[in-house]
Amino acid sequence: MTRESTRSVEVSGLKREFKSKSGPVVALDGVSLDVGEGEIFGVLGPNGAGKTTMIRILSTLLLPTGGAAKVMGFDVEHEPEKVRRVINMASGAEKAGYDFISAKRNLWFFSQLYGMPSALAEKRITELSETLGLTKYLDRKFYALSTGYRQRATIARAFINDPKVVFLDEPTIGLDVMTARSIRDFLRSEASKNGRTIMLATHNMAEVEAICDRVAIIDKGKIIAAGTPEELKRRLGAPALVMEVSPPPKDLEMLRLVAGVKGFTSSADDERELSTIQVVVESDAASKGALDAMTASGHKVVASWRKEATLEEVFVALVGSGFKEREEEVGS
Amino acid sequence: MKARALVRLWSIFGEPLWIVVSIGFPVLSSLALSLLYYSIGAGNYIGFAVLGGVMVAFWGNVLWSMASQFNWDKQEGLFEIYLTSPASITAILVGMSVGGIVGTVPTAVIVTAIGWVLFHPAVAASWGAVAITFALTLASLYALGMTLSSLYLVYGREAESMNEVLQEPVSMVSGLYFPSVGSLSPFPFALQIVVSLIPLTLGMDALRQSLFSSPGFVSLWVDLGALAVMAVAFLAIAAFSLKALEMKGRRDGTISVRIR
Amino acid sequence: MISFRSLFASAWMGIQHDLAWTSPPAALVLRTVAPFASAMTVSIIYWFGVTHSGLTFDPARLAFILVGSTLYAHVASYAWVPTIAIAEGKNLSVFPHIYLTARSTALYVAGRALSSFAISSTTSLAALAVAYYVLSGFLQTTIILTITPASLLMLAVALFANIPAALGLGYFLGAYSLYASKFEWSLPGYVAGLLMVFSGALFSTSILPWGVSTVASYLPFTLFIQASRDALIYGNLGDYLTSLGLCILGGVGLLLVSLWVYLAAERRARRDGVLDRRLA
Ligand SMILES: Nc1ncnc2c1ncn2[C@@H]1O[C@H](COP(=O)(O)OP(=O)(O)OP(=O)(O)O)[C@@H](O)[C@H]1O
Ligand SMILES: [Mg+2]
Repeated sequence: MTRESTRSVEVSGLKREFKSKSGPVVALDGVSLDVGEGEIFGVLGPNGAGKTTMIRILSTLLLPTGGAAKVMGFDVEHEPEKVRRVINMASGAEKAGYDFISAKRNLWFFSQLYGMPSALAEKRITELSETLGLTKYLDRKFYALSTGYRQRATIARAFINDPKVVFLDEPTIGLDVMTARSIRDFLRSEASKNGRTIMLATHNMAEVEAICDRVAIIDKGKIIAAGTPEELKRRLGAPALVMEVSPPPKDLEMLRLVAGVKGFTSSADDERELSTIQVVVESDAASKGALDAMTASGHKVVASWRKEATLEEVFVALVGSGFKEREEEVGS
Repeated sequence: MKARALVRLWSIFGEPLWIVVSIGFPVLSSLALSLLYYSIGAGNYIGFAVLGGVMVAFWGNVLWSMASQFNWDKQEGLFEIYLTSPASITAILVGMSVGGIVGTVPTAVIVTAIGWVLFHPAVAASWGAVAITFALTLASLYALGMTLSSLYLVYGREAESMNEVLQEPVSMVSGLYFPSVGSLSPFPFALQIVVSLIPLTLGMDALRQSLFSSPGFVSLWVDLGALAVMAVAFLAIAAFSLKALEMKGRRDGTISVRIR
Repeated sequence: MISFRSLFASAWMGIQHDLAWTSPPAALVLRTVAPFASAMTVSIIYWFGVTHSGLTFDPARLAFILVGSTLYAHVASYAWVPTIAIAEGKNLSVFPHIYLTARSTALYVAGRALSSFAISSTTSLAALAVAYYVLSGFLQTTIILTITPASLLMLAVALFANIPAALGLGYFLGAYSLYASKFEWSLPGYVAGLLMVFSGALFSTSILPWGVSTVASYLPFTLFIQASRDALIYGNLGDYLTSLGLCILGGVGLLLVSLWVYLAAERRARRDGVLDRRLA
């Protein structure tokens, strides 16, 4: 892909360290990525991976401690005013707004801070709230809105100034399926308007598969994979081998030794006394190797089949398989 | 209950800076009013301003840390936890009071020390009576605080604003800085009777009598008796209305209503 | 004009936010109660102290105290608004978004302070008027205040002239709450208390010891209260203009320094990532 002239976000070697009582915490550890104009770019990663930190840096709320980033060609560290003129951001977890002021007046307030003429602001508020299904609730005080509508108002606010780049941190967190879907539709349609770029951090795989053009998976402050969802699945995950094994193995060390096995997850079914093991493999040879290794270790493979990996599986395989492992890391 | 008191104390003493911050108004306002007495040539009454500074610390603590505390807790979602815990809310409030009193003592000591060093106010005290009076005044004041918290429970952010509205007028009519009841009071007799319903008023009257031997509204013993009655009465009202409001809250679903 | 719009919208939001918890007229009335009560307290202290110490009651002195007490409360009530606007903004998560819309949140803070100035000018003057009538009736004296169109105009000019100084104080306090987000709720007590002692509100700054009295007498707030007294009590135009001029001069100086401090604190806050940190 040649996005040379049309990159809206360019990140290179971005680092951020926080000081904390128990020593420095590295939230971002040399992240590099590019986002093209008009793209919806997803950022996936486990809790504490550094997603929010990256969004805060790109939206000029936080300075990096190393590396550089540009948004629409402006350096976030040295030209924050220019960046702010072309961006906006929102966090689904926060739902910013003045409690005792109506949703409409909250939106109007922000439009004024962006210096929009009132007539234009009114028009924009009407449009946004229509597409977001907020119209009926515009005159309610912010605190009296339900979580979902507060979130719609928050998202409307993030588009109020017609930004070229919008950063969203978990925009659909805590929403019912239908509302989340309508917000996704909204994002999709907004991104297709005059080359608007949307960068969103999320935990929702369906969201990524549904609307993201490209994705980066970050873990412990580093990008561990990037590409289109299809690419990720193909390159890292497909095909997957699923096998039902009896009795449930105590550990899966033997799979680690098989060449071409990229990762695995397992779930035990105590009633049927078997384990379902998913193995992400590089090739058919690796599948065969995995089956052989399992049999060789004295387990019976009751059934096995091939399956296209979902993004979730790719994610789990890349990032780690369970709490235990992560807790140990956190503890260390 | 003990736990609540301890929590309050931890949060105060675990953060030494907190003391520096909370002494601001009591120290400075009592300093300003002492200087006012001094500047008009009534230096013999400076003790009233110092005593006022001490008591305003407790009164402020009652309003801001007791009365509106439940409202804060409610917003933080803590209140639901209290409710579902087996301890009675009244007990929790009593715990908070004890914690609040102990936590305010350093402020009171600093106000007294500064007033003493700068002005040497004349004191003619019977210390035993002062101790009893002080204890009873605080008891009735914090019992009032409990009643207020139970009332504020039904309100949300209004509680904050009500505090702001209440703080100054109550300070004035209860005579924190000058005698608002008795022969020295500028108020008409009827008003003196009305303001005596605020425990702080008779408490201040009794404190002035026992500390400065200044002429009181009623005799010290009547003051003390009335304070004891009020302490019990406010405690009863608080317990009763907490129960009632808890029931109401559960029925109307307002207990877990948070603004965000 | 991006800045004028921002300022206006912020002031509008300030008024809404300050008065929205009940109906606006009721909120205004309730906001008059506190300054009225504290004006009554200090006036009664004067009356009580004088009458029970065998001194003569001086209505001009009472006027001095009455004017001073309502005006220091006025300054205190809008000088700490920046602090609260920031703390509240962080709590409601709006603050970072305000930061992202403009070059600096200083404009928003100014708007909030100005709206509070408008509210508090109304309520303090109402408190002064009510206290004046109540005390006149109560103590059966004539408190010596000159109320003419000219004196009121002079008072109004003084109120406006004090804005730079109060805003300056506001930015200092705001710089603190941008950064530390814990104790700002007790700052108003400090501000009110300091003004009570050092701005000549209740007694002449000359009774303060050592160099303190000199410094206090040149504080813009002291000069503001003095100018207001020149307008309402003494009626000396020359003194009034001197106090007013010095008040503006000192105020503008204070404003420039504190704005610089605020902007530096804002940059530091971005570096340390506290702009969007909510209270614990
Ligand atoms: N102000 C701070 N001080 C210290 N550490 C911080 C600070 N902010 C973030 N961190 C740390 O930086 C790391 C990355 O945090 P970040 O919020 O970016 O993660 P995230 O990917 O958004 O996680 P989540 O999915 O839970 O939202 C975490 O280890 C976090 O504890
Ligand atoms: Mg996050």
